[in-house]
Amino acid sequence: MTRKSPDSRNLDQSERAQLAECHSQLPSLADALGQGKASRREFLRTATLLGLSAGIAYGMAGKLTGEGFVPRAKAQDGTPRRGGVLRVSMNVKEISDPATIDWSEKGNNLRLVIEPLVRISGDNLATPHLAESWSASDDLRTWTFNLRRDVKWSNGDDFTADDVIANFERWMDPAVGSSNYGRFAALRESSEDGSRMAEGAIRKIDDHTVEFNLRVPFLAFPESMGDYPALIAHRSFQGGNWANEPIGTGPFELTRFTVGERATYARREDGWWGGEVYLDGIDYIDHGDDPAAPFAALASGQVDLLYRLNVEQLPAARNMPNLEVYEAMTAQTGVARMKVDEAPFDDPRVRRAIQACVDHARLLEIANQGLGLPGEDHHVAQIHPEYADIGAPQQDYDLARELLAEAGYADGLDISIDCVAQPTWEPNTCEALVEMLRPAGINLSVNIMPGGTYWDRWMTTPFGFTSWAHRPLGTQSLSLAYRSGVPWNESSYSNPEFDALLDQAEATFDVDERREIMAQLQTILQGDAVIVQPFWRSIHTAGSPRVKGFIHHPAEEHHFETVWLED
Amino acid sequence: MLIFLARRTGYMVLTMLVVSILLFVLLEVNGEAVAVKVLGPYTTVEQRNLWLEANGYFRPVYVRYFEWLGNMLTGDFGESIRFRAPVADVLWPRLANTAILGGVTFAVMIPLALMMGILAGMKEGSKLDRSLSVTAIITTSIPEFASAVLLTFLFVFWLSWLPGTSGMTDGFRPVELILPVTVLVLYGFGYIARMTRASMVEVMQTPYIRTAILKGMPYRQVIMRHALRNALIAPFTVIMLQINWLLSGVIVVEFFFAYKGFGALLLEASLNQDIFLIQACAMVAVFVAVTTQTIADIGYTYLNPRIRFA
Repeated sequence: MTRKSPDSRNLDQSERAQLAECHSQLPSLADALGQGKASRREFLRTATLLGLSAGIAYGMAGKLTGEGFVPRAKAQDGTPRRGGVLRVSMNVKEISDPATIDWSEKGNNLRLVIEPLVRISGDNLATPHLAESWSASDDLRTWTFNLRRDVKWSNGDDFTADDVIANFERWMDPAVGSSNYGRFAALRESSEDGSRMAEGAIRKIDDHTVEFNLRVPFLAFPESMGDYPALIAHRSFQGGNWANEPIGTGPFELTRFTVGERATYARREDGWWGGEVYLDGIDYIDHGDDPAAPFAALASGQVDLLYRLNVEQLPAARNMPNLEVYEAMTAQTGVARMKVDEAPFDDPRVRRAIQACVDHARLLEIANQGLGLPGEDHHVAQIHPEYADIGAPQQDYDLARELLAEAGYADGLDISIDCVAQPTWEPNTCEALVEMLRPAGINLSVNIMPGGTYWDRWMTTPFGFTSWAHRPLGTQSLSLAYRSGVPWNESSYSNPEFDALLDQAEATFDVDERREIMAQLQTILQGDAVIVQPFWRSIHTAGSPRVKGFIHHPAEEHHFETVWLED
Repeated sequence: MLIFLARRTGYMVLTMLVVSILLFVLLEVNGEAVAVKVLGPYTTVEQRNLWLEANGYFRPVYVRYFEWLGNMLTGDFGESIRFRAPVADVLWPRLANTAILGGVTFAVMIPLALMMGILAGMKEGSKLDRSLSVTAIITTSIPEFASAVLLTFLFVFWLSWLPGTSGMTDGFRPVELILPVTVLVLYGFGYIARMTRASMVEVMQTPYIRTAILKGMPYRQVIMRHALRNALIAPFTVIMLQINWLLSGVIVVEFFFAYKGFGALLLEASLNQDIFLIQACAMVAVFVAVTTQTIADIGYTYLNPRIRFA
């Protein structure tokens, strides 16, 4: 990537004023970008999070860095054509309560009908959706969201602030069991489990303006609203089975829903607030859990698009003349995490010894065909905007043997790891780990089990391999998995210093300052050797060349309103 | 005859009772585990206890068992955890789909296998016998998952003649049945053919067949009138056993071709630990197994009057 000499003076006075109006800190961020201190990705992310429209942010970033830029979403595939039903192969899972869904497939089934306030775009940026714009106070604790005024529910009601408030009230009720309860912990009275939403945490300013008052500063607040369980259902939904009476604001209407078989959608007759929608409908077909079946269906023209292509299927797909293969680099990963309060993993020397046996790049090569980036055992990805380069852990068998001897395992150590059978890159990674640990005298056995069994014990097993979804920010995963006592803290890791730094990172606006905090966080996690994180995966899917305007989203979200089918 | 029927039916009921007790003990006695499955792993102990109370899990085990058995008998299998619908709503359509797949498979496989077995067995050691026998051994020894991959590669990816999956998403299309039926027939027919052949060979060596041939009876008539009835006794039992095999043996084929049948359902239910669905599927499978066995026994005595009704 070549970079012309950047110069912040490229922004004129009115542009600077526009930035300042959006947030007082933005002009200095623009300066940082101009001087090469902040990356383009960082500027775009922060500016859009603070309410600058993505188009303007892209324009300014292009000007500041001197790089010509066309957002990917705007790349045209010719002139869109109206008509046709898009047939997609994807598991159809139950979606009775949008607040408690836990798979991105479920998110896709819902997202055609109900929508989020903020959407994470294919290039990982928070963009306005049902919220037209938003702004944050200087201390990042008060956020004001302006809702679109032209949005109607499919039952004829207007979309208003009441809908947003009703959803937040449900999410923050611990009895509902929504993962948003943890996601928006900043709205609660305390971070304690079981605490309620704080008085005045959410306030209706008028019918189309909502104000949020957070307990602690939280820069990633808009980003969290783009996560798939944060889709806004109609205010009348208070539990029961959503699919029986699907009211939505989205471009499509649910016309048929059978778990394990089929979900069909038709374009909304009364039009969609976002403009023209090309497809007449969507037809999700469930081909079961054998990855060969969807692929065969695509090859014989029974579907137009796959939800996912397994890494083993990639060479075959690339060799087929009539297939379009899509790729996305993601922060999707798997971690071999150790329970830090259970023997033998309660001894940091054992964990460090295991870590010292691992050659991350080699694991990536063996288990994921080299598609992705090597991990660094701290769960912050190179593609995350706040990533700090602290260096990767190196394979060192002498060190591993030394540490083991110190811990009292000079004669060898027998351990076993639990993992799921599908997708195959997970057991393959574990099998490769077996070979890597052996030279140090560690005998690892792999316990492969069906997904259902693993997910029953993923929180309790002493040593397990868990896959983690893509999240646009590094701090999001750190907060979900390594903060003391949070529901998804599978390793039981608890470090007050880490927690405090994480709070700080989430509240720090200055780029350099934040990167320094991130470097500390990453170093702590890497040094404590809580996880062996083999790699970050790039993900793939395939479709017929008839499908136009599709972008493979890093979180595998389907945004079909821009997709059209060629004749 | 009536006593025989009553006794067979008695055995049937007894077998099913034993299986039902086993199922109940394995899956339901630990109410806590059921609650975790139904409510999800993130629920609190308090929520689980409320659910257990509301669903009567704190009553004595035998009371719960009889109530459960009563519900089963009236077709109330409970609610599926995965599908969020009554188990009966999910189960019957899937069973009907498998019946279609199994019916077509049988309609192709049985005549083919019997024909090949009889032809091969008529003249033991002939060229026809040897080639048919070798074919049968080869096809039977290729497992379904291998032949499914092979046939898919050939007819879907290479020649593009056939659809790759059989989900019947555009309504019932017979063309989608071709691949799964072929895989099942290839795997299953060899066994019946070999059985028929062996039985036929044995019959052809008996003195009464030799007498019939020697007295100058047309060969065709010897086969049709004398040999067949006796030669079919052993294959008949095998064929009845194949019905059981179809019910659970189709798992691989249904899974591979995304056919929405009973086998795929059983697999999904076990992988997702959908307790009530597993129970219902297991009971249906056992019912089919004991019923076909009873029919086989009755048919056997009918075909072979030497077996007494006792």
